[in-house]
Amino acid sequence: MTDEQIRVMVVDDHPMWRDAVERDLQAAGLDVVAVAADGHQALARFPAARPQVVVLDLQIPGPNGVEVTAAVLKDDPSARVLILSASGEQEDVLEAVKAGATGYLIKSASREELLDAVRRVARGDSVFTPGLAGLVLGEFRRLSDPLAGGSGEASSLHPELTDRETEILKMVAKGLSYKQIAERLVLSHRTVQNHVQNTLRKLQMHNRVELTRYVIEQGLDEDDEDDEG
Amino acid sequence: MRAALAVEDQLFRAIAVLRVVVLAYAVVGNLVRGVGDFDHPAAGYVLLAVMVGWTGLTTWAYADAVRRGVALLVADLAVALALLVATPVVKSPDFDASVPGFWVMAALLAWAVRFRWVGGLVAGVVLGAVDILLRDAPDGTDVGNLFLLLLGGPVVGYMCGSLQQMATERDLAERAAAAAAERARLARVVHDGVLQVLALVQRRGGELGGQGADLARLAGEQESALRSLIRAQDSVRTDGAEGAVDVAAALGRLGLRPGVDVAVPGGAVELPADVASELLAVVTACLDNVERHVGEGAPAWVLLESFGDRVEVSVRDEGPGIPEGRLAAAESEGRLGVSQSIRGRIEDLGGEARLTSASYGTEWELVVPR
Repeated sequence: MTDEQIRVMVVDDHPMWRDAVERDLQAAGLDVVAVAADGHQALARFPAARPQVVVLDLQIPGPNGVEVTAAVLKDDPSARVLILSASGEQEDVLEAVKAGATGYLIKSASREELLDAVRRVARGDSVFTPGLAGLVLGEFRRLSDPLAGGSGEASSLHPELTDRETEILKMVAKGLSYKQIAERLVLSHRTVQNHVQNTLRKLQMHNRVELTRYVIEQGLDEDDEDDEG
Repeated sequence: MRAALAVEDQLFRAIAVLRVVVLAYAVVGNLVRGVGDFDHPAAGYVLLAVMVGWTGLTTWAYADAVRRGVALLVADLAVALALLVATPVVKSPDFDASVPGFWVMAALLAWAVRFRWVGGLVAGVVLGAVDILLRDAPDGTDVGNLFLLLLGGPVVGYMCGSLQQMATERDLAERAAAAAAERARLARVVHDGVLQVLALVQRRGGELGGQGADLARLAGEQESALRSLIRAQDSVRTDGAEGAVDVAAALGRLGLRPGVDVAVPGGAVELPADVASELLAVVTACLDNVERHVGEGAPAWVLLESFGDRVEVSVRDEGPGIPEGRLAAAESEGRLGVSQSIRGRIEDLGGEARLTSASYGTEWELVVPR
């Protein structure tokens, strides 16, 4: 897949940022098919624009970044969401990842880092920072440890990481690149990438199960079209 | 002051209910024992009517703080006293139970609530003294009632004062918390805007080169400083758990150091203050070591993990590693190397420090029980 084919949508309420990101992406030959300044615009323009990658700021008016992530992925599960956040509000980033975002980048990242991240996310890779890996790791620890606030119910309800997945996620959180991890563990780059993606998938799956259970428990399943999120 | 008033309002409502209950008791008592046998039966009925009327009047009057003046309270006490004084005349000089009976309690409590323990004491002394003085031969029960009056007034008054104080303090605390929450919300909006600009300056400046690069560097420093401050601000506790410190926030601030990347779980990771500060000091020492041996601004990664029974911190660099035998050499020379000090300090916390060093870098793993 070449760059020309990557269709990107940029969602950010700060015009200067939106323009800067759009310019950078276009200069690199990517196809910016839509821009939006808030959640409502994003959801309104997404279906017609059909972007492969949504570069999304979390702090936007209207439906926030987490809600937009969930909504666009429900609409088109093949789309990818890359979170580009200034504040890096931890809880929000984690929620967005649970909602299905597969990439996270802080806004001070360089243009090259942004382009690289967009290309990788478009390929289906997940783009982690050590900080995000630490958050995800912490979330799995929390879910599996009743002492630390997990539900402590039957373990089938908890997402469990394999030892290998934990090991790799931990190495990502310690700042090792996928390449370094592959070398140290004598694995292929692709295998490392797959393990990382599996951890995200498990977290997202757990999130969906939790949401469904919540909806059923609350008796909200009859009008779930309106009560998304 | 509104909270104190709310407490007073509520207590006066309680007194109003109490007044009706003791009124019913007094009226029924007098009727059953026979008002007809009083020396002056008609006057007896008048006294009961006065009690009923006064109960109704005070219930209305006490309901509004504006009407709860000194005059009303003096009148309330005066009516109670007048009923007591009238008893020997209306009933008989050697009466057993006074006509108002327990009904006088309401006036006493009103004084206690309105004027705190002093009011309770004054009303108790006056009512008790009059009751005793009216009797030819006070018996044990009368003295016991006097004692209860003297005790009850000040105690209720004191408790009312405490309640009002607590309500006032709670009110202040609630308002302070609401103000803090609003400030935090506004600050987040401001911070987000500032971070956006700093990030943009950093990005564009770096591409311009020259002076632009200097600007970019400055913006980058400020950005990470602000980010750490926001993280620290979020961890400021308002629920008052003393002695517990959020190490996630404390370690997060180490991200201010150039080249240092800190990863922590979401939410607070609390440790006792002394353990947290020692752990922070050890991690800082590890990072100082990286700076000394790998270079200033050399990349380093800190990872905090929280388990039910322990926390684990990893500090990693990608330097050349510690040369074989250097640690042993330091030890044999009798020098307590940095690594020995790090190990010792973690062991003092009941934990364990592991060091791995190879050509691809050095990593400390610190495990501290919680």
